[in-house]
Amino acid sequence: MAIKFERVGYEYQDIDGKGYLALADITLNINKTGEFITLIGETGSGKSTLAQHMNALLTPTEGRVHIFGVKISREGKKDKNLKLNPIRQKVGLVFQFPEYQLFEETVGNDIAFGPKNFGVSEKEAEERAKKMINIVGLDESYLSRSPFNLSGGEKKRVSIAGILAMEPDILVLDEPTSGLDPLGRNALLKVFYEIHQKLDKTVVIITHDMNTVYEYAKRVLVMREGNLVYDGAPTQLFSRKNVKNWNLDVPDILKVRRAIEEKLGITIEGETRNKADLMAKIGEALR
Amino acid sequence: MSVIEIENVSFTYHGDKRALDNVSLSIEKGEWVSILGHNGSGKSTLSKLIVGLLKPQSGTIRVDGITLSASTVRDIRKRVGIVFQNPDNQFVGVTVRDDIAFGLENLQIERPEMIERIEHYAKKVDMYPYLNKEPHALSGGQKQRVAIAGILAMKTDVIIFDEATAMLDPEGRERVMEFMRTLNREGTTIITITHEMKEAVMSDRIVVLKDGKVLKADKSENILKDKETLERSNLELLLPLEIMHYMNENGIDNPSLKEFLWQLSLNG
Amino acid sequence: MKNIVIGRYVPGNSFLYSMDPRTKLIALIVLMVAAFLIQSFAHMLVALLLVTSLLIFGKISVKRVYLGLRPLMFLLFFTFIFQILFNQEGDEIFVLPLHYTALSIFAAVAVAVFWFATKKRVRFKLLYFLITVVAIFAVFHFIDFGFLFARGTFRVFEEGLSTAFFIMVRLIIIIMLSTILTITTKPTDLNLGLERVLKPLGIVRINTEEIAMIISIALRYIPTLLDEANKIMLAQASRGVDFQEGKLKDKVVQIISLLVPMFIISFQRSDDLANAMEARSFVPGQPRTRLHVLTWKRLDTVAMVVSFLALTFVIVSRVVL
Repeated sequence: MAIKFERVGYEYQDIDGKGYLALADITLNINKTGEFITLIGETGSGKSTLAQHMNALLTPTEGRVHIFGVKISREGKKDKNLKLNPIRQKVGLVFQFPEYQLFEETVGNDIAFGPKNFGVSEKEAEERAKKMINIVGLDESYLSRSPFNLSGGEKKRVSIAGILAMEPDILVLDEPTSGLDPLGRNALLKVFYEIHQKLDKTVVIITHDMNTVYEYAKRVLVMREGNLVYDGAPTQLFSRKNVKNWNLDVPDILKVRRAIEEKLGITIEGETRNKADLMAKIGEALR
Repeated sequence: MSVIEIENVSFTYHGDKRALDNVSLSIEKGEWVSILGHNGSGKSTLSKLIVGLLKPQSGTIRVDGITLSASTVRDIRKRVGIVFQNPDNQFVGVTVRDDIAFGLENLQIERPEMIERIEHYAKKVDMYPYLNKEPHALSGGQKQRVAIAGILAMKTDVIIFDEATAMLDPEGRERVMEFMRTLNREGTTIITITHEMKEAVMSDRIVVLKDGKVLKADKSENILKDKETLERSNLELLLPLEIMHYMNENGIDNPSLKEFLWQLSLNG
Repeated sequence: MKNIVIGRYVPGNSFLYSMDPRTKLIALIVLMVAAFLIQSFAHMLVALLLVTSLLIFGKISVKRVYLGLRPLMFLLFFTFIFQILFNQEGDEIFVLPLHYTALSIFAAVAVAVFWFATKKRVRFKLLYFLITVVAIFAVFHFIDFGFLFARGTFRVFEEGLSTAFFIMVRLIIIIMLSTILTITTKPTDLNLGLERVLKPLGIVRINTEEIAMIISIALRYIPTLLDEANKIMLAQASRGVDFQEGKLKDKVVQIISLLVPMFIISFQRSDDLANAMEARSFVPGQPRTRLHVLTWKRLDTVAMVVSFLALTFVIVSRVVL
């Protein structure tokens, strides 16, 4: 168990001084390896707040978070010996907008910045930059370019490479595909899935896109008004009852499948987690 | 009558490769045209060219018959309004009310009329209760609705939505798309620039751009079903239409299902 | 970070809040000039009384004004001390012999160190500081044994003391007047008032409308910028930047990792904003109608008359007396 939330609550003060409960009574375990999790919920449901607890950017006001054995709690915060920085290398968090992160003169330096902060040598950091720029789908010529002249999609990839280069054990990504065109979106999701498959790393993706959830997730966490209301497999998540109660967007695959099943008066067997599968099954049913 | 005519327009950002290469298209009054393309296809440059924020190296732009030039640019800006992508970077006013007023102050609308228009259009975009709110207290979708109200209050003939939903969450996106539908029903000429297929579905015509050139321009129905063209511009078919394509490829004949799939794609 | 209130505006309800911002601005200047022209101590005290009654009738919480004064306490204190120490006019009213001996110097240093080490834990810091100062003087006065290095005398003169009080009260009046302005006027209204009041500067080619618009846009973006600064710090912290620790060299990198993104975001923002403004028919320098108008009321005329009367009175008394 790499990350363990024990009855975590987080309250902060509004501009008007009012207390606002962003997280309430969250209990949750995330393994060090093997997980592919999507974290979903409406804006304001607490997803980003939850993610920021995973790498100790935030300290809970109630309860405890254990990250790779380090206990994070309100009381523990006063402990001068508590070093939170190493945790940030183990749990890599990529924010939604690359503009908040890119600052070095070249792409190469920017990607190397993270690893160097954790003691990686200059040479090794450069090597990692070369490796990661390729992994995110850009070629090495980008390394000498200024990060500020890139398109939105390219900046996004560079910021992701910057966190990958830290070689974290767990990768947490906040809306990594927002702003990308469909091709870019699919390519990037495949990258994350491959990292998960080949390196057996745990990946947590915050997203609004139910299609991503349905196609890739092994486990879905649903946040609603600060509460964790669902923690389980994606297929069960989209039952008609849940969709109605939680006002969920239905993934296209399911929407179309259910419409076709109704129209043709048939039932399609199996899960059809991707388009190819769905189309094959429809083809079968029609013949 | 064509309300916007773009003739052989080319544009290059200083020294870079061509953002737009010999692009021509025309937009009729009351039409809804979607300009689709991959990131970097040049689509975002188009809106700035139409209102004279950028000057093309070659070609002509005409709005309502008026040729765009340094002396006519002001008249053109009264006819075409743009809602830009970043909700924070187009919100000028200290409050919602002030922001909607901004364009009206520029147009030198008299105060009593200004007040009336602000209230009317704030109500229209469901932001009336927020008139005194400051932008940092609003969501992205709310800020975009304020931007829309500001443009509507200026009573332009054409509204361009330049990737206006790209930075919004699904709820914000849905509400802005709802307004696009409403405005279109009321006869406003609408241009949406996007890479989201679900926005393009609602339009009358689609123009697909790739690497600065017009790849194809046709009635939306034809483009939406055109897998090859879409994929060449890094776009996807809507799922029901992808299934339709699959059926065609595999010789599965079922006209009523195909019609059903088409309707499904239109209704989202 | 979210608790920062822009300016010191506190919502309220009194005649001060109803006044046109132009009136408040001009009255502030006029009354400040008057305060500088007052010569007699008695007049100064009356002025203090009048300003205090403004506060009370204007329903401004005295506590807030005190909080506004607090950061300037040390300034007031040093102004006071400066006069006492260096103004040697008039009769001697207090003489204190001082003895700088090995022991007294040692004791004085010990007192100073003690103050430095314990000052953080004390609530009334200024008072504690004053007590420490008195203690040091007492040490130099009473400890007159041990090896004597030198003798000294601390003298207070009549003029020194009265001038010290005079200047301190004047400072307090001026600070209170400007605090009244900022507490009762929203930054946007202040901006509007300034724009109108400084309009005559148009003669020297200074366009106050443009400047007012720049200020207004800046005000609009302050909360947004604070938010973004926070997000940038979180993003960089996720890459191993430890904003709490670090030597000077590290601090420089930390600051750069915060400032560069802020600048880049701001440059992009100004580009986008300029486009959006122009697209909405904004032409710098062209006349614009305005949504917000300032209305001059009878209250404003009264306030102006009173302020100018006060100034006249002060000028006349200076000339006559």
